[in-house]
Amino acid sequence: MRGSSLIQIVQVGFKSLRLHKLRSGLTMLGMIIGVWAVIVLVAIGEGASHDAQEAIKALGAQNVIIRSVKPMSDKVQLQGRDMEWETIYGLKNSDASRISKTVPGVIKVLPVLTQRKNIIHGKRDVDCQLIGTYPYYPEFTQSKMVAGTFLNEIEEARKENSCVLTLELAEKLFAGHNPLMEKVVIRGFESAQVFRVKGIIQERVEGAKLPQQKDVLGRTISANVFIPLSTFKALFGIKNIDRSVGSLSVERVELSEIRVEFGSAEEVMEALPLLREALDKTRRGNVDYEIQVPINELNALKAQKARDTRMLMYIACISLLVGGIGIMNIMLATVTERTQEIGVRRAMGATQRDITVQFLIETLILCLLGGSIGVCGGWGFAWVRHHLLHTTTIVTEWSVLAAFGLSVTVGLVFGLYPARRAALLDPIEALRHA
Amino acid sequence: MAKHSIIQIKDLKKVYDLGAFKVQALKGLNFDIEEGSYTAIMGPSGSGKSTLLNILGCLDRPSSGAYILGDDDVAHMDDKELSGVRGSRIGFIFQSYNLIQQLNVVENIHVPLFYQGKDISDHYDHCVKLAEKVGLADRLDHRPMQLSGGQQQRVAVARSLVNEPLMLLADEPTGNLDSSTEQEILDILDELHGEGRTLVIVTHDDAVAERAERVIHLKDGLVDQDIRKGAAKAVAK
Repeated sequence: MRGSSLIQIVQVGFKSLRLHKLRSGLTMLGMIIGVWAVIVLVAIGEGASHDAQEAIKALGAQNVIIRSVKPMSDKVQLQGRDMEWETIYGLKNSDASRISKTVPGVIKVLPVLTQRKNIIHGKRDVDCQLIGTYPYYPEFTQSKMVAGTFLNEIEEARKENSCVLTLELAEKLFAGHNPLMEKVVIRGFESAQVFRVKGIIQERVEGAKLPQQKDVLGRTISANVFIPLSTFKALFGIKNIDRSVGSLSVERVELSEIRVEFGSAEEVMEALPLLREALDKTRRGNVDYEIQVPINELNALKAQKARDTRMLMYIACISLLVGGIGIMNIMLATVTERTQEIGVRRAMGATQRDITVQFLIETLILCLLGGSIGVCGGWGFAWVRHHLLHTTTIVTEWSVLAAFGLSVTVGLVFGLYPARRAALLDPIEALRHA
Repeated sequence: MAKHSIIQIKDLKKVYDLGAFKVQALKGLNFDIEEGSYTAIMGPSGSGKSTLLNILGCLDRPSSGAYILGDDDVAHMDDKELSGVRGSRIGFIFQSYNLIQQLNVVENIHVPLFYQGKDISDHYDHCVKLAEKVGLADRLDHRPMQLSGGQQQRVAVARSLVNEPLMLLADEPTGNLDSSTEQEILDILDELHGEGRTLVIVTHDDAVAERAERVIHLKDGLVDQDIRKGAAKAVAK
């Protein structure tokens, strides 16, 4: 077929479709929604997976995180006087030192102690997570300082009342003015202490909070206050009184978390059994810790994502299939409606092939137009979600190509039958058709 | 007559196989049509008139016999070849005009050329000239819906001329028109005949047949009468 006549067939196709704007629009709608859904769903999935992967990467692929976990109630070690019962469990300082001494491949061990407190500045009183840790926390977690400096060795040694706030908390607490060198009060159940703000930190990924605690409303607390571990123990102790559950519970946890850095991700896998062995030595089968291995989670997440993507493609294929059947249905109706036109064209010298091409192109126009609108719509939605709603949404090239490719394929496959049917009409019968 | 025959029909038969029985629609026709002649084909329904029209228009193939159009026997051509013949040698004029709704006047006139791979941009002037010829110079970009029946049939006439066919084949060209419009169309056909074009009109309307110089009457699939008027016409008047 010559190029110029192809252009003309396309023009005629547009004219025919314009003749029934509503019908063409509705027919395209199936395609638009199908393609839109493919792109949007993939983009949302991609965004969520990206966030999760970043969060895990922030923990570090060569790291292992050991957390204190309250064991089953019958195994809890209770210690009581005067009606006050305390639950004692979790990681100890001795665990941290044993790991660094006995497990091969360990480069650094970072102990972390966390309790929920309130932080007060002037009239503002904010829920926060108080974290006692060592000066190398930022390097370990790949967090970066926004202002000031992080805690140092001297402060650790002297148990000084210095603290570092997360950016989000600083914004909430100081509402614009400079928090550096300001004084804040950290109030727990039993004591309140004054601290001096010496730095603002931004953790690598928002939401990658240490123990993923939720506040009353179920939101993840993103307000962290870092103080030297020694200060923490000296001022607040390891007794944690939790009021938020409704009933009073008192727990003694020496360390909330131990982070262990290995030389490489491979060494992590080799060292895991030894790590467990080192921890279990003093525990007599009482498991009050959990080990999080980011590299494993990352791999699992990637596998999960591949499964999700495949599933999404199946759903997309089904929706496009439904769209395609809708298009075929309309094209069959169109062929019937335009039987006389087909007869006239045949009488004017159109071959069967000419008629096939004409109807196939009309179907393709519907599909491509619908596909294009769907792609633009999906892209627009993703843009709005990403830039205006600030939810990570990533439009992948392959989803656009796949959606487009599928819509063309649907057009060809579902257009062919009506087109052939049109072409094979007997011209005499077609002409007689009123 | 020394005129060259552009159509030769020899022992043309058409049998419709309806499964249980066969219907012989044409039982062996023989006639020639000369270049520049004006022929009407008449006959009651069931006479084989429509069947003959379809075969003459290369829309259908005879069961046996020869149909020589120009220099070729088109009786046994395949669908693709017949499409080519329709597009290049025959100009159709239908009872119900049969214009394409989504195209305007000029585009409708161009349709037969389109299927010969000829671009409208190269033949636009030619199409416009034909529209002017049938008196539609001021309606070039109108759609069929915006035209009266008579105007639509004029477009159809212009369309039938665009490919310079060997023969204009009209099927009840005035069947849907009122009598004054009918006269206009018949006048245009007379004019075309005057220019030397070959016209074949299938009709059951005596008023239409009267304009022709020759009337072939069909009856039961055979030629019943073949009247060449010429001098006789003058006598009758």
